[in-house]
Amino acid sequence: MNKSSRFYHFINKEKNVGVIFCLPFIIGFLVFLIVPMGISLYYSFCDYDILSPPEFVGLKNYIEMFTQDEVFWHSVKATFYFALVSVPLRLIFALLVAMILVRPTKATGFYRAAYYLPSIIGGSVAVAILWKRMFAPDGVINSLLGLIGIETNFAWLSDTRTAIWTLIILAIWQFGSSMLIFLSALKQIPKELYEAADVDGANKFTKFFKVTLPLLTPTIFFNLVMQIINGFLAFTQSLIITQGKPMDTTLFYAVYMYQQSFNFNQAGYASAMAWVMLLLIAVITFILFMTKRFWVYEQE
Amino acid sequence: MKAKKRTGTIIYHIFVCGFGLLMLYPLFWMFMSSFKETNTIFTTARSLIPDPFTAENYANGWEGFAGVSFATFFKNSLFVSILGPIGTLASSACVAFGFARCQFRGKKILFAAMLASMMLPGQILMVPQYLWYEKLGWVGSFAPLIVPFCFAIQGFFVYLMMNFIQGIPRELDEAAKIDGCSYYGIFGRIILPLMSPALITGAIFSFMWRWDDFMSALLYIDDPNKYPVSLALKLFCDPGSSSDYGAMFAMATLSIIPIVLIFIFFQKYLADGIATSGLKG
Amino acid sequence: MKKKFFKKAAVLAIAGAMAVTSLTACGGSKDEGGKEGDSNSLTMAWWGNQVRNERTQQALDAYKEESGVTVSGQFYQWGDYWSKMATSAAGKKMPDVIQMDMSYIKQYVDKGQLLDLTPYIEDGTLDTTNISEDVVNMGKVGEGIYGIASGTSASCMFYNKTLLDELGITIEDNMTLDEFIDISKQVYEETGYRSNLYHYGLYMEMYARANDIQATDKLGGDSADDYLPYFETLETGIKEGWQISPSQAADTDSVEEDPMVYGSNPDNMTWCTINGSAQLTAYQTAAPEGTEIALTTIPTSDPQKSNYVKPAMYFSVSADTANPEEAVKLLNYLTNSEDAYNILLAERGVPASTAISEAIMDKLSPAEQENANFVNNVIAPNSSPMPPFAVEGSTEAQDLLRKLEEKVKYGEYTAQQAADEYFTEANKMLQGE
Repeated sequence: MNKSSRFYHFINKEKNVGVIFCLPFIIGFLVFLIVPMGISLYYSFCDYDILSPPEFVGLKNYIEMFTQDEVFWHSVKATFYFALVSVPLRLIFALLVAMILVRPTKATGFYRAAYYLPSIIGGSVAVAILWKRMFAPDGVINSLLGLIGIETNFAWLSDTRTAIWTLIILAIWQFGSSMLIFLSALKQIPKELYEAADVDGANKFTKFFKVTLPLLTPTIFFNLVMQIINGFLAFTQSLIITQGKPMDTTLFYAVYMYQQSFNFNQAGYASAMAWVMLLLIAVITFILFMTKRFWVYEQE
Repeated sequence: MKAKKRTGTIIYHIFVCGFGLLMLYPLFWMFMSSFKETNTIFTTARSLIPDPFTAENYANGWEGFAGVSFATFFKNSLFVSILGPIGTLASSACVAFGFARCQFRGKKILFAAMLASMMLPGQILMVPQYLWYEKLGWVGSFAPLIVPFCFAIQGFFVYLMMNFIQGIPRELDEAAKIDGCSYYGIFGRIILPLMSPALITGAIFSFMWRWDDFMSALLYIDDPNKYPVSLALKLFCDPGSSSDYGAMFAMATLSIIPIVLIFIFFQKYLADGIATSGLKG
Repeated sequence: MKKKFFKKAAVLAIAGAMAVTSLTACGGSKDEGGKEGDSNSLTMAWWGNQVRNERTQQALDAYKEESGVTVSGQFYQWGDYWSKMATSAAGKKMPDVIQMDMSYIKQYVDKGQLLDLTPYIEDGTLDTTNISEDVVNMGKVGEGIYGIASGTSASCMFYNKTLLDELGITIEDNMTLDEFIDISKQVYEETGYRSNLYHYGLYMEMYARANDIQATDKLGGDSADDYLPYFETLETGIKEGWQISPSQAADTDSVEEDPMVYGSNPDNMTWCTINGSAQLTAYQTAAPEGTEIALTTIPTSDPQKSNYVKPAMYFSVSADTANPEEAVKLLNYLTNSEDAYNILLAERGVPASTAISEAIMDKLSPAEQENANFVNNVIAPNSSPMPPFAVEGSTEAQDLLRKLEEKVKYGEYTAQQAADEYFTEANKMLQGE
């Protein structure tokens, strides 16, 4: 057996192939992720202010977080509220729009661009100002309400009940990424299945529930997992638009963590917060994966 | 029957257009504001029409800061957001195939590690990552903004593509295997072409995220000549003195153009329905 | 056809990725090499807006002509600047010369991040002959001098002069809190415009100084009762309507969005606000046409005690600099060069060197002159020494204060509750518990 054929044999061996394909991630994980993650885990057991070297303090940060920090709980509450409300709404909206825009017409490309556009501007300063102006007492939202007969000077961003809803609406407005994923999944559904359903005399609703929805479940699951992770880690919107105001009702977990790290010089505490968040999301994701076999359609 | 279908189509277009306008209103506001005189943007926030109409913001904004114009910022952003996504897509597609179609020891753990790496808030990694890249000698260069992304470190893309590959019937693989195709052949000849919708979606996201990425530019780029647009846009607003919102809106408007172009270019392929035609072939 | 396209794309992609890896890796090492050996280049970082970026870079270019030393500037927005500085400090890679602020300098000194300038002042590398001792001492932390003030400034109250003129009200400098409240009530009753004294937690410092309970490494005073009047005034102001609350206009640190210059009707606008005096230009620019903005001292029970002249910002040198001598020379240029200030003007406060500030006075804009006059002739003659530097917990304590003010404004807390919580919690934060 010569060298090249031995190499050929090695790389084609069933158990090696997978590792070879995954090599980029294995390298990336070892070189770029595991080191910083490890350091941050270590920091979480330290008193660390970034400017001077960390000092090991054991579980102090974790204990303080759960027992003494009221603001921490405010941020947990705001984050849960935001994630649990915005994620389902965003997904439903994205799916609806994707269903509508999958229909091929001459204007489809244009429509898609138009609906995707809001997601493009992301979390820039421009969005922050835009949003603040829209929901200001003299903003366009109140003008619109005036058109339908509700004259009001309500300051949406300053009310403890409505402020977080402005962020939720922003999240829904930027539904483009989920919509695109749904669109590409809808495209993947074989036309033959619909033709077969037509032969069986199925109407639109039956087709949706018997063909489209089951075949979309893997994508719905994917979007759900990703959006849950994104929802709990939401950061920019709160940081640039509300900074947690009013009274911590929009203080997202990641924002409070960032403040602790860079404004209050408690990077150790912030790291502990980060790892608690990782644990929390991991548990939620794990539960989601457990439910997968009950509702996600698998090919095999 | 035909008439009914026609009214249906008209209603469809009216509905989609109307709702689209509502979606676009805020952007339209931003666009119009960029033509207002900068000190009237807030005082005239209620009206859309600039009075007087001025393009001065574009001139002021484009000038940039301290002799570095937005042409440079755009060039830097393009550099990062073209190379980064290429690396991301190539590496993620490989890894996704490995996860979706191959069996090997430690696969579950590796997959869990990938998910877990997405769950740690990125802001907390800023300092450790900085210290690590500093050790590698990368601080001050574009490397931290590009190289890591060539190693599939964004689990989102891997998972996205993996999900898509799982939707491709396995019979195609099996048939190819019988024809004597290796795993590499299957990946290159069958899976890769079939997963183009996922690649296109990924390309759009990846480009956009690299384009918007501000944090890593803030940390790793020292020289204003290397600032990307995302970082430069923030320089217009300073709470300690006066801010030039007009120029900011003008440049923010310009900054979304590349993403729009990328989107329009790629979504054509998305509309073609490659997956279904591939299935028959 | 399509298959070919994607195959080509994939090959290109992989090749591209490889090229990048090698390319950027090279770039990285080159960059580092340049920094180590070259004694003719420095880095300098600051925060600020377009005008500052422009002028500073021009001054640095002029410095290159003069001395042959290349200074590359880095500039960021305020909040980002501090994240960037903290991270670079952790990596021992801070720029050679950095712009510093009063609220951060002590932390950076305590953590050994800044260079003591005393030896360079003694040997004349940093010439302070034209700077008054008070101003030099503004940079004194413990035993050393760690920053040189770029210029002087003061906290002040801005007001809508046009509106007050219409009402026939004249504002006298050094007005007391009682006088202020009377005016506030009058303005509110006659026009609907409110006041904004309790704004972003800025008023506490003034209140504490006037009542001899200024914070050091803990809050001044013996009990929450010392802070009760502070929150009571706020509570009354909200009840009587003359103090603006967030449900009328958001509390913000942005000049352009300040309700004094932005709003649709008197109900969501104010006739005054408090901020740094150097922002006069910014407020005047942001105000609607025909509205004149003027400045005066912040009203307290004893303005002579609460007023103080403060450093607009500092220039400091990083303790890690490879080139302290050159860095201090740059500081000297930024302090004493008339050429530099012909470009910089009063962008960073009234220049610290008296020689310079006299020389450039005529070149300043009317607003800048008004500010200089205010700091030198209104505040300085009737003021007390600068407060001690902010300790590590003060940002957190300030954040708490803002939240408590907010709660009182919403009626969620009584003045008593706010004072109690402020006294116990802020004290803990300042003492690092």
